[in-house]
Amino acid sequence: MKNIYKIKKLHFLMVIIGLMAASCKTESVLPQKEALKDISGNWQVIKATRNGTDLTTKVDFTQFRLKFDAGNYSLLNKLPFLVEKDGAFALDDPEYPYKITFTASGGQPVSTAFTYPIVNGKRQLSLSFSPGCANNTYVYVFQKVGE
Amino acid sequence: MRSYLHIKGKNLWMICACVVLGVVLACCGEIITGVDQPSTATVGSTIDITVHIDIPTVGDGGPDNLILGILMPKGWKGAQNTTVTYKSPLGDGTMSIVPESSLPKNGGGLTWSAYMKKTFGLAGNLIDDMEWVPFQTDKAYTHNGTEITGDLHVKLKVGADGNNTLVKLGYVITDTGNGFTSDGNGTYYSQLSTPCFEVTGGTGDLVDFCNPQLTIIDPPKSLDNDFVTLTFDGNVVATPLTGNTELYLCATAYTSDNKTIEVCEQTEKTKMAQTSATSNKYQLTFWPKEFFNVPDGQTIVKMEYFVTDKTGTTKVGYGNTLSPFVYTFKCE
Repeated sequence: MKNIYKIKKLHFLMVIIGLMAASCKTESVLPQKEALKDISGNWQVIKATRNGTDLTTKVDFTQFRLKFDAGNYSLLNKLPFLVEKDGAFALDDPEYPYKITFTASGGQPVSTAFTYPIVNGKRQLSLSFSPGCANNTYVYVFQKVGE
Repeated sequence: MRSYLHIKGKNLWMICACVVLGVVLACCGEIITGVDQPSTATVGSTIDITVHIDIPTVGDGGPDNLILGILMPKGWKGAQNTTVTYKSPLGDGTMSIVPESSLPKNGGGLTWSAYMKKTFGLAGNLIDDMEWVPFQTDKAYTHNGTEITGDLHVKLKVGADGNNTLVKLGYVITDTGNGFTSDGNGTYYSQLSTPCFEVTGGTGDLVDFCNPQLTIIDPPKSLDNDFVTLTFDGNVVATPLTGNTELYLCATAYTSDNKTIEVCEQTEKTKMAQTSATSNKYQLTFWPKEFFNVPDGQTIVKMEYFVTDKTGTTKVGYGNTLSPFVYTFKCE
């Protein structure tokens, strides 16, 4: 009985040592691969400005949708935007994109600066463009619908 | 305790007098003493403007270049259409556009033009479609107490945008070493706005920067694919609509292929919302392409409009008349 107790004690000790050894294992510091920025989905405008003036409450943006899906984009309930027709899109760098290019079907590619911050735990997409006069600059901040 | 300060009454007065005199003499850096300019001109003509200046050069420092800023409509393209020369006791010379890379010392990283706009705004004008065009002298001067009085001669080609215009031209001078600052030696700048200047003979709309307008469209320059914000200001003058709190837009678009599209209904689409409970300003922001339901391939070149009451029978047009307000869609 006493031996069994000793063996149990030994086992217990070995488990403890094993755990401690495991905890001392050096952490892998291999560079993590930056996740590809996946912007596919339905996006809706949550903030819009024109030359710095807030338009969010002055115009109904609630129905406008920008949808990205497998290299293509589509617009629903259109509003002034970088492009007027549906087409293809591309990011300049899928890991660290800072530019997005829209190519409307039958049109020329147009690019714009693109930021992709996480605000309050949610991805946002911020695009600036001039659909009318070049001096009038708009910024739309999008958030994914249903998130 | 024994005092080491011995000032007799007479000496005290002398010290005080010297301090006061010093302050008076030290007062003020660059000053605009007057501006001579015509009161009217025709579109595309070149006008002569003389800015009289006085620089006491109090204090020490420099050498600094003199800076001149002229406030004018953006559409005049002031940088291309203005030349400035000067005559001074230190010699004559020219002033040229300050390059955008040459930032003012105390401008917090802004360009000279932006620094002027931030400090002096629109200097009494009401439409934010103006710019300060900055010039600097080819020669510099030191601040050593030598008073410099001189004249800046400006030749300005007005109305490059072809618009008839009413505008208060503004002027400011300072020096590159100080900018829009003051210290013990005085104030190193001087700003002067002139009465309303009129440009006539143009083919474009009248752009009135001077007088409050019944309606204002923001941005001042836009196309049918912009969002435009139209504001009716009921405070400017009493109109047949005074007392109504439900106002609507009644507008007609003219397209590039000579068609007209009228939207004159009293619905949510055309309703102008009061900006705040008692502002008496009514506003509607819309996308002209959608508002007039313009098909692809057509563009709107011009819009005529009235503001109406809920029944649509009482309407107010340009200058509180029954002629419509006119807005041309263009970028220049």
